[in-house]
Amino acid sequence: MWQAGSEPAKIAETVLVVEDEVLIRLVIAEYLRDCGYKVIEAANADEAVLVLQQTERRIDVVFSDVEMPGSMDGFGLAQWVRANRPDIEVILAGSVARAVDAAADLCAGGSVPKPYEPQTVHDRIRRLLAGRTPREGRFGDASVRPS
Amino acid sequence: VVNAERACETEPDENTAVLVVEDEVLIRLMIADALRAQGLKVIEASDGDEAMCVLQSSLPVHLVLTDVRLPSKTDGLGLARFARAARPDVRLIVASSHHVDGDIGGVADAFFAKPYNVRAMVETVRKLLSES
Repeated sequence: MWQAGSEPAKIAETVLVVEDEVLIRLVIAEYLRDCGYKVIEAANADEAVLVLQQTERRIDVVFSDVEMPGSMDGFGLAQWVRANRPDIEVILAGSVARAVDAAADLCAGGSVPKPYEPQTVHDRIRRLLAGRTPREGRFGDASVRPS
Repeated sequence: VVNAERACETEPDENTAVLVVEDEVLIRLMIADALRAQGLKVIEASDGDEAMCVLQSSLPVHLVLTDVRLPSKTDGLGLARFARAARPDVRLIVASSHHVDGDIGGVADAFFAKPYNVRAMVETVRKLLSES
């Protein structure tokens, strides 16, 4: 948990978690907060876009489910991010192998097969951000495909 | 609740948990951030159905803060009634930008008009939690 009433000494990297299943969303969001990230939660791609349109808000990584209700799924969101916020890394999580393969082609951040362990997501984000140069951020790690 | 140095607690029952139910993401985010800054654990739900899902789980919830108007089968008042029945110890705050018909007092511990006065809302949350 953060120290109450004060910002952490280091500005936390921010992850936007996009997941329509609330019990999954809160588990991964809490895990990432415990790992020291600032986490913003969105219940679908439309909510995520509203957050991402606030360009003054720092967001380093979007971690999104592939299959979501609403006007856009995870692929649509990834394309939106690439077109509008190209500085932000995207990692997609999908339960269908074909979808995960497509995600790996679409996102520099690659994909994580569902169901996933929170630790796997954290490792992926950590490696992605560690490999990022300050001004150009889209050359992250290799993707992981479901076995 | 406001103590500093609450290092990496992983046991949810060691935290005081507030369930924030709001369908407008930027408002939900503002409220959640304000409550987290108080050291509270915040569970975010984007509609009544998500909130019901949380309340039906075994997750600890000490207070529910809900908008009345929600784009789901369950609106805020329905959610408040469900929470009252399912979890009688949970404190309830209902918020609305419109006049609400019916007996709020019978359902909720506090009512807030929207747009939120975040500072007043945080104080009310802390007061209700300290009474419980």
